[in-house]
Amino acid sequence: MAAIRVDELCKSYGDVRAVDGMSFGVDRGELFGFLGPNGAGKTTTIRALTGQIRPDGGTISVLETDPVAEPLETRRRVGILPEQGSPPSFLTPREYLEFVGSVRDLDPDLVRRRTDRWADRLGFESKLDTLHVDLSRGQQQKVMIAQAFVHEPDVVFIDEPLANLDPLVQERLKRFLVSYAAGDNAVFVSTHNIDVAAAICTRVGIVADGALVAERSLEGDGSGESLLEVFVERVDEAGARDLPTTDELADD
Amino acid sequence: MTDADSDRRGPTATLFATLLREEWRLHVRLFGGWRFALFPVVVAGLSVGATVALLRTGTASERIVGWGHLLALGFGLYSGTAAFTGSDMLEGVFGRLTFVLSSSETLPLSRRRLLGAFLLKDGLFYAVAFVLPMALGAAVLSGLGPRTPGLVATAWLSLSLVFAAGMALTVASIAARSRGVPVWLSLPAIGFVGVLAWTSGYGAILETALVPMVGPPTSAIGLSVATVAVVAASLLCYDPTYGQPTRTATDRFARLCNRLPTDDDALVAKTLLDLARSSGGVWKPFVSAGVLLVLVAALVGVVDAITGIEPAPGVFFGGVLGLSAFTTYNWLTQFDSLEDYLVYPVSVPAVFRAKRIAFVLVGAPTVAVPYLAAVFWFEATLVDAVVGAALLAGYASYYFGLTVYLAGFDPNEFLFDALRFGAFTAGVAVPLVPTLVVGFVVVPPSTTLALALAAAGFVLGVLGYVLSSWAGPRWEQRYRSGVD
Repeated sequence: MAAIRVDELCKSYGDVRAVDGMSFGVDRGELFGFLGPNGAGKTTTIRALTGQIRPDGGTISVLETDPVAEPLETRRRVGILPEQGSPPSFLTPREYLEFVGSVRDLDPDLVRRRTDRWADRLGFESKLDTLHVDLSRGQQQKVMIAQAFVHEPDVVFIDEPLANLDPLVQERLKRFLVSYAAGDNAVFVSTHNIDVAAAICTRVGIVADGALVAERSLEGDGSGESLLEVFVERVDEAGARDLPTTDELADD
Repeated sequence: MTDADSDRRGPTATLFATLLREEWRLHVRLFGGWRFALFPVVVAGLSVGATVALLRTGTASERIVGWGHLLALGFGLYSGTAAFTGSDMLEGVFGRLTFVLSSSETLPLSRRRLLGAFLLKDGLFYAVAFVLPMALGAAVLSGLGPRTPGLVATAWLSLSLVFAAGMALTVASIAARSRGVPVWLSLPAIGFVGVLAWTSGYGAILETALVPMVGPPTSAIGLSVATVAVVAASLLCYDPTYGQPTRTATDRFARLCNRLPTDDDALVAKTLLDLARSSGGVWKPFVSAGVLLVLVAALVGVVDAITGIEPAPGVFFGGVLGLSAFTTYNWLTQFDSLEDYLVYPVSVPAVFRAKRIAFVLVGAPTVAVPYLAAVFWFEATLVDAVVGAALLAGYASYYFGLTVYLAGFDPNEFLFDALRFGAFTAGVAVPLVPTLVVGFVVVPPSTTLALALAAAGFVLGVLGYVLSSWAGPRWEQRYRSGVD
């Protein structure tokens, strides 16, 4: 049974079709990369899959829950790292993770132990008692990563995981994501960064103008074509709005 | 805007025009063009209606003009104050609120110039969208005739000047804060200057200066020069490199959660800590309620001086102080947004429930202190004090429910939506106006009337609870559909 199943998903905002008949599946053990240009519908898809918005059509399932009918149950079982991931708050990271543990019904002692482990892993031990609003964007991102994993969910949705992080932490996080997915979990990573996707993902889906235009396994792929070439070619073929074509890029 | 346009205008004019356009589009996106465009019409209607009502009750024109200017000064203080009491928003002003303002980080534009252009834009924007419709009330004072346009124009200029003076005071406090002077110090400082002026016999001069249209031209010129000088000095004093020093805190979340006897204790605790640790701390709601108390007390004095009638203080203050529910709720939602909660297994109704509990915890002492001060100061009878307390509890709950239902998580933004503002005003007026009339007519309230008023308070309290309960599902549906 797939951890994530999407079938003919549609979502419009007024006249704009943000997601237009998207279908794909992600199994446990996969680190699935969701690649696409700006405005391709990546964030809308994540928001639909986590019950934050109600789709206009199609069916979706996450860990055998229906995010449309039972959004709280879905969000209870998954972790979410939103794109704009720094809610303005006057809690310290320690208190913020206690807050997350509390709304997720976790044992306080367990939360304390996991807080220390995440602070050590991402390097924010010295900031545990600093008000969240006074942290740098990178430190805030680290805290938000920790909250997405503090309950050790079976499925994690991550929107731009490496934004604002220094190279050392980026490397640590990439390795962690690979090992986390290998532990029979599903990790869904939305990103613009093709190099990151190529380095860590087991499979990628390429989206343009709200539709999935290609899927490609990155394990033992012998096509000889780089992920960047596939991306540019497929997005170009889809005629995605507001994007330069490969011919225009060549002219430049 | 074309490049040729930019070249002709120069960078400051281009910046100014872009800021104005951004302001317009921000409000149009929030409410839709016609609902925003109708907002001045609603303000004009309220201004004309209030002037007619005051004239009919025998209030002198000079008094009405004076109160209008006091209101304009208050609005000026409020609208310039992205950073007055809630000074954590100062950092937000640059970057989070508008795209153009964040351009000092990427374009060769100084923050001082940006702040100057921003203030000028705000002043002009409010002068047209808010103060001009306010000034239309002056048309009622003279009756329609050939002199009316001139009188309205004079009232507009006079009110705009006072409005700008209020903004200038705020800007001065922002500038002082950027030099490390705590913003709250400006409150007693302003109060001290006011009291000193009044007690030393200069109160009349102060009053004349703040109502330029009735004073000599020199007072208007003096206020204009003073306003420009304060703004210029503030811009010079403003330290663009200012940033909040890093703050730390001991872990209070778990202890606070344990003390709260509610199911949504984590959500309530987060709201309370956000309020307590932001600039101004837990005193912000008290300051807002205190300002309301002073205004109402002054109104009682004015009415007493004009008509010789003193209202039943319990009924009167109980009805009016409930309005502080709006400002208290505003403070409780200032530092988070509903979208932030949607990444947790938390429903929107649960978030609103938590805000209601936080509102009761913060709002009860916030209104109790000024209410008790009022009933003791004005020597209310026991029955009057008790029924006033019942009204206060019920009306505060109702105003809270009305605000939450109409405005969701953004009570400040709905002020410029004509429909919501009109609905809110009507929703407030329907119970409040009859209560105030009763408070003036039957002094002290009879037992029968007291029971009826207490019953009205109870019914409105329940209605407020119901409205705030409906707000959760209503706003959840809107957010999940992607409307907001």
